[in-house]
Amino acid sequence: MSDDVRATVKEFILREFLPGEDPAELTDATPLITGGVLDSIATLKLVLFIEERFGITLEAHEVSPEHVNTVADIARLVDAKKAKGGRAGV
Amino acid sequence: MEAPAREADVSLSARNLGTIALVTAQLALTLLVVHAFRLESRTFFDVMLLATGGFAVHALLPMRYRLSFFVLLSVASLVLALGLRDGGFVLLLGLVLIAVCHLPIPMPLRALLLLGIGALFAVFRVGKLSGPWSMAIWPVLGSMFMFRLVVYLYALRYENKRPTPAQAFAYFFMLPNVCFPLYPVVDYSTFVRAYYDREALSIYETGVKWIVRGLVHLILYRFVYLYLAGDPAELASLGDLVQFVLATYLLYLRVSGQFHVIAGVLHLFGFRLPETHHLYYLASSFTDFWRRINIYWKDFMMKLVYYPSFFRLRRFGGNLALVAATAIVFVATWVLHSYQWFWLRGGFPLAPQDAAFWAVLGAFVVHGSLREMKSPRKRRLGAASFWSASLAFRTVRFFAVMCVLWSLWSAESVWAWITMWIVVGNVAPGDLWLVAGLLAVGLLIAGHEWSVKEDDGKPKPLPLRPAFQSTAVLAGLLLLGSTQLYARQGPRLAATVESLQRSTLNARDAALQHKGYYENLDNSSRMSAQLWDVQAQKPASWIGLSQTRAARFREDFLGGDLQPGASITFLDKPLTVNRWGMRDRDTTREKPPGTYRIAVLGPSLVMGSGVADGETFSDFLEQRLNESAGPASPLRYEVLNFGAAGYTLFQQLAMLEDRVFDFQPDVVFITDSPRALEPMVEQLCGQIYRHVEIPYPTLAALLRESGVMALGGTGAAVPFQSVRSLLGAAGVSTRMPWSEAERRLRMNGDALVDWSFAELAASLRRHDMPAVFVALDNVVDPLPKGKAIVGQARRAGFLVFDLYDLWVGRDQRSLRIASADNHPNAVATRLIAERLLELIQQHRVELRIDAAAAKSQPVSVKEASR
Repeated sequence: MSDDVRATVKEFILREFLPGEDPAELTDATPLITGGVLDSIATLKLVLFIEERFGITLEAHEVSPEHVNTVADIARLVDAKKAKGGRAGV
Repeated sequence: MEAPAREADVSLSARNLGTIALVTAQLALTLLVVHAFRLESRTFFDVMLLATGGFAVHALLPMRYRLSFFVLLSVASLVLALGLRDGGFVLLLGLVLIAVCHLPIPMPLRALLLLGIGALFAVFRVGKLSGPWSMAIWPVLGSMFMFRLVVYLYALRYENKRPTPAQAFAYFFMLPNVCFPLYPVVDYSTFVRAYYDREALSIYETGVKWIVRGLVHLILYRFVYLYLAGDPAELASLGDLVQFVLATYLLYLRVSGQFHVIAGVLHLFGFRLPETHHLYYLASSFTDFWRRINIYWKDFMMKLVYYPSFFRLRRFGGNLALVAATAIVFVATWVLHSYQWFWLRGGFPLAPQDAAFWAVLGAFVVHGSLREMKSPRKRRLGAASFWSASLAFRTVRFFAVMCVLWSLWSAESVWAWITMWIVVGNVAPGDLWLVAGLLAVGLLIAGHEWSVKEDDGKPKPLPLRPAFQSTAVLAGLLLLGSTQLYARQGPRLAATVESLQRSTLNARDAALQHKGYYENLDNSSRMSAQLWDVQAQKPASWIGLSQTRAARFREDFLGGDLQPGASITFLDKPLTVNRWGMRDRDTTREKPPGTYRIAVLGPSLVMGSGVADGETFSDFLEQRLNESAGPASPLRYEVLNFGAAGYTLFQQLAMLEDRVFDFQPDVVFITDSPRALEPMVEQLCGQIYRHVEIPYPTLAALLRESGVMALGGTGAAVPFQSVRSLLGAAGVSTRMPWSEAERRLRMNGDALVDWSFAELAASLRRHDMPAVFVALDNVVDPLPKGKAIVGQARRAGFLVFDLYDLWVGRDQRSLRIASADNHPNAVATRLIAERLLELIQQHRVELRIDAAAAKSQPVSVKEASR
């Protein structure tokens, strides 16, 4: 599951925010928020995408570098949410 | 702060010790630069000294002791800056607040309790209650807790790990806060997450780099403040306007400099906080600007306002939620700036120009956000292009817009801001070259995608290593500050640098400060940071004379005078007014026989602000004249002090006719500083506004010609004559805004000063008295415009005693009544008296002293002594 999430999120980020970039440059550990790839608007776009794509609901306090700073973080968060039952927040 | 103790990072290997020694040496150079340029306050130097010594110890400590050591240093900085008692109270009150955050009660109750304590502290802040501490604790306590408490509570609510006491104390009492209260917001999660999350030595090197960058900003700020920032009421051409709006925006260098220094100092202790104010003058759009400037504030608003608002509102649709959340952020930013102002300076300003600034900024950010929502901007993970025309034009365009907006934000009033644009059509020779030059340089710089990336640890040639660059800049600054090394070869550069090495007020602020003495500067929110620094150092009891019992308001052209018989303590010194309304001993109206009387008129430095009774220069002059004449002299001298705080040339003229001539002086000394015009303009505006009759037909005609009588209208203030005429034709009653009248009068400034001197000279001639103009200023270096006023006095027929250069080459600090007040103290008033004595002796003939002596009969020794 996690690999699917990673691939989907990576593909979205590359398409929306890093068009033309070498996909190899975006690793699971590339800092997205602290590295300047995701600003507030991009983060919200990503949140809306993740919620729709994976059928989960994120909370405001989860939109922070602690939870969504890397593709790996995002995958972990999505997996945890899905394991706890989709729309319910953690 | 689970000490990510990479023991390898802290081992005492030769390489590590070498780097720590190098960083310590760089910090020592930093101290020398701070000292050479007297940057910020004395507390800043002390705190930097503490940080330097603290760093050397901290870096060598085992990781597990470092955080506690940082807390100890932070507590020491409190005591260093505020003293044992106030520092102790900040600590105590802070501990109470932190303890409340951890009470075993539900979070909403904790928040309510904190709000209650905050309200109680606010009552203390406004002075309605007083405690065993001084008011100095509030800006420091406020800066540490006003926002961080909210962030801390948020972290307690949503994060699993409980803060340790050392983490909490380090977060709230962090070292540099005592000297930089403008640094209130740091995200707690970031503070914890970034603690030694990289190799320690590289964090230290980054810290030094940022401190050095901050110092450069602070020195550049001082140059902009002294040489580029001017008075909006004095703008005369497009070039002036461009320089003014540019300088207003560049004044923010002080804030960015402080932020770099603070973040740099925190790096020295392992807190690898994100870079703030990253090349913010090169932002290419409002959203870009918002991402670059004070990112700590941006992150705070994101976390506490923007995301929560968006998530609550998203059910109404993504775009609507985005617009509403952004609007809420900007309204909150506006209000919270005033909230911050309250704790740091007192007062809660909600000025219309602030609202306009944040509204415009917010509107543009909303627009940019919606556009980015639709088509995201392109980011890069790799290298950027060398120069892009599109980026260059976007950046320069945005910079220009920000200059304009910033000038609105900084304006004294919206009307003052609108009326300053009147000069946009006055294109002086060279203005277009100036604009074209700025544009060309701007495009060249802005087209490159500058990025300052963190050191990647890869080997680099020496000139590209951060440690080398920092050391080179520090050495360069020290060389620049050693003006004696090149004063002969480059005297102009040396003089400019020397002026940057003093923390003095620029001409505009000096005028504002001068104005404050009689007008009670009530608009502290519009004060420049520099002026505020000075004002804040004054004791609360140091109020303007107009707020005391010794001042009397009058509804005539004189406007006010000293209350006869008043006896007060003014600026901590006794101030007594005699029965004739003079700050002088009692005297008779009739001149005693055998007396040579000098009447001295002028503003506060004549009245003797900040010196005791008997210590004004008039007192000393009288004493020295009689001493030097000797007991056998047929003539005794009386020097009558008619000075009153804030008196303009107009008021000196009115005072002459009100009472001075009744005392039959032999000579009258008119006194003023090079800033004679500004208070004259203020006085005229006030009198026109209050419909006070102007008793001089020629002056009234001059005012009518300049159109400023429209200030006395009864309707709403509307700028520009054409708009008022249009509204008048439609039956709408209007008046001229104060700022427009001020500007028009300033434009006629020379005519007003010339008229005053001419009228004063004519009045003295009618009474057959020699006219003397004493060119005298507070204890400051002479201003260039002093020469102009001296020339105007001479042309009107005055004998000029030019004392503007009296303070040159002297230890000015020892001659002022206080570090924050340039008025001459008793030592300085003696110097004034001595110089005047010399000049009087040199000009005995013009002053008709010998003639008066010849006329006098010899008097007894008893009569001659007083």
